[in-house]
Amino acid sequence: MWMVMMFIFIVELLFYTWCRVQNVQNGYEISREAHNQKQLVAYQNSLKIELARLKSPDRIAQIAKQQLGLIMPTTEKTILIP
Amino acid sequence: MKKAPKNYIKLRIAFVGVCFFLLISVICAKAVYLQVFCGSWLSKKAAKQYEKSFVQEGKRGTIYDRGGNELAVSIEGTSIAAYLNQIEDKPSASRALAGILRKDRRKLLKQFQTRQGFIWVKRQATPKEVSAIKTLGLKGIGFIPEYNRFYPNKSVAAQVIGFTGIDGNGLEGAEYYYDQVLSGTEEKYTVLKDALGRGFAKDQDTEDPVYNSIHGGKNIILTIDRNIQYITQTALEASVKEFSAKSGMAVVMDPRTGEVLALSHYPSFNPNVFKQYPRHLWRNRALTDPFEPGSTMKIFSAAAALSSGICSPSTIFYCENGAYKIGANTIHDTHPRGWLSLQQIVKYSSNIGIAKVVEMVGPETLYTTLKKFGFGNKTGLDSPGETTGILTSSNRWSKIDSSAIAFGQGVSTSAIQLVSAASAIANGGLLMKPFIVQSITNENGRILKRTAPEIIGRATSPEVASTVKRIMQTVVTEGGTGTSAFLDGYTVCGKTGTAQKTDESGTYARGKYISSFLGFAPADNPRLVILVVIDEPVGAHYGGTVAGPAFQNIAHETLQHLNIPPETKKGAIKAAMITGVSG
Repeated sequence: MWMVMMFIFIVELLFYTWCRVQNVQNGYEISREAHNQKQLVAYQNSLKIELARLKSPDRIAQIAKQQLGLIMPTTEKTILIP
Repeated sequence: MKKAPKNYIKLRIAFVGVCFFLLISVICAKAVYLQVFCGSWLSKKAAKQYEKSFVQEGKRGTIYDRGGNELAVSIEGTSIAAYLNQIEDKPSASRALAGILRKDRRKLLKQFQTRQGFIWVKRQATPKEVSAIKTLGLKGIGFIPEYNRFYPNKSVAAQVIGFTGIDGNGLEGAEYYYDQVLSGTEEKYTVLKDALGRGFAKDQDTEDPVYNSIHGGKNIILTIDRNIQYITQTALEASVKEFSAKSGMAVVMDPRTGEVLALSHYPSFNPNVFKQYPRHLWRNRALTDPFEPGSTMKIFSAAAALSSGICSPSTIFYCENGAYKIGANTIHDTHPRGWLSLQQIVKYSSNIGIAKVVEMVGPETLYTTLKKFGFGNKTGLDSPGETTGILTSSNRWSKIDSSAIAFGQGVSTSAIQLVSAASAIANGGLLMKPFIVQSITNENGRILKRTAPEIIGRATSPEVASTVKRIMQTVVTEGGTGTSAFLDGYTVCGKTGTAQKTDESGTYARGKYISSFLGFAPADNPRLVILVVIDEPVGAHYGGTVAGPAFQNIAHETLQHLNIPPETKKGAIKAAMITGVSG
């Protein structure tokens, strides 16, 4: 009887310890993933800013005029589709 | 002989029992004392070893243009701080930091030797600097996350957007005016650390939408269109450079609503490095600086005359062949003219003619009309530092004053007042309240507040507005002063302005002018009201010559950008459609 009681007690102790270890491990994992997510969001933000810079009218106008040779169309060159 | 040792053993057992009892009692008492009386204090002491508290400011909201393009964003950065008591070798630490941060080593060491516990070494350091200092592993040097404000379009709409200071508080423009809306709230939070100082479980994530919806600032969407702003800025810069002018400003407004689509200044500044530019470039001069508008005022004087019912566009006035004496003063016209109708007075911009018109209708009528058009009052634009301009009461006007005010001297307005007043003519007589913030949204883009167009009052009747529009159309036709603003395919209504500037003594300075062009297009259904003001042009000074071409460029490119078809083409399409139907 005593042996059974001791066995149950030891199993319970081991199970509790395993739960605690898992809890700590999960805590570290959450922390790591949260950090990764934060880095990815920061990267996404920097890409958004880069996109805003690349889409700036100043840059687009320069490329259109200097590289592609585009000009603003005159009224005669505008064709309206009814 | 046998009883004595037995009693002695019992005594010893009792003695040991009492000792144990006392010992256990002391332990229990101590345990009760620690648990009951010192529990909370000890818990706090323990928590100090594995918990770390931070104060975090919520992320500042973003400023967008009307197309959803970012004009001002907050990005996470790092500032470097020093906890002076923890630095072991201050001379070598200051030497190492000064090398990386390109600072004066002696100054830094002097700062390190002060009695303060904490100093900033560098606010908003670059990622390269931060990583270089981290590799040094200096004790007592801290890295504190902060937000940096970034303006991706640099000088585009710089005076409208404004900028923030080092602590993230708005100092100019919309950043200042909407500081409370944009600012995030401060929050204190705790992070669990293990024995090695590593973060445990989830930290507060300031990029988390849920966190931001609670603590982050709100976003604002401006009425400014980034592309129209660029078009305006480019045309303005070209004009200022062509005439070697001191400065220039231009405003584009939607007359139907009062939305400011573009507001630009030249020279401008880059808000990312605003400290490198002189302070006078920071403010929104279109709002804060009053100036004498010159002949652009004649359209409102004409509106006053027409409103009075005494005049019609064909009423004629004798223009004294170029010189007209009022008391001790003589007013002149650029080109001598004889008899001119009211319409021709505006077309040829005759000062004498408009002075005679005002003599006929009276100064009270002029004053009342100008007030109705918003002159002498703030427009209420949501931006800091607006001027009322100067329009004194007609009771205090002398005869020369009323004549001068009729052609835009002796009265001062801001650029935004002038555009608002012209919008009232364009939209059929309603004075709209101008605004630059279209809506306020939360982190997820949900609109929390939308600015609805607001009518301040009726400036003039639709009939008078329509007549003034027709008169303004003649200004850009053959013989008018504003032919340089003619737009192929669109009907333009406009008025040129050339005002002499006053010097420090208050008298009109020779050779210093403010040249302007105020107009709108298309005439039938105006979508744009544009004002171009060029300060102190060199070589030419007439509004039509200096500001007219800039107006033409802005109007042409903006109408194309907004896909507003040329009126001539619309007519052709209608005709084609009618033919198609009937055929």
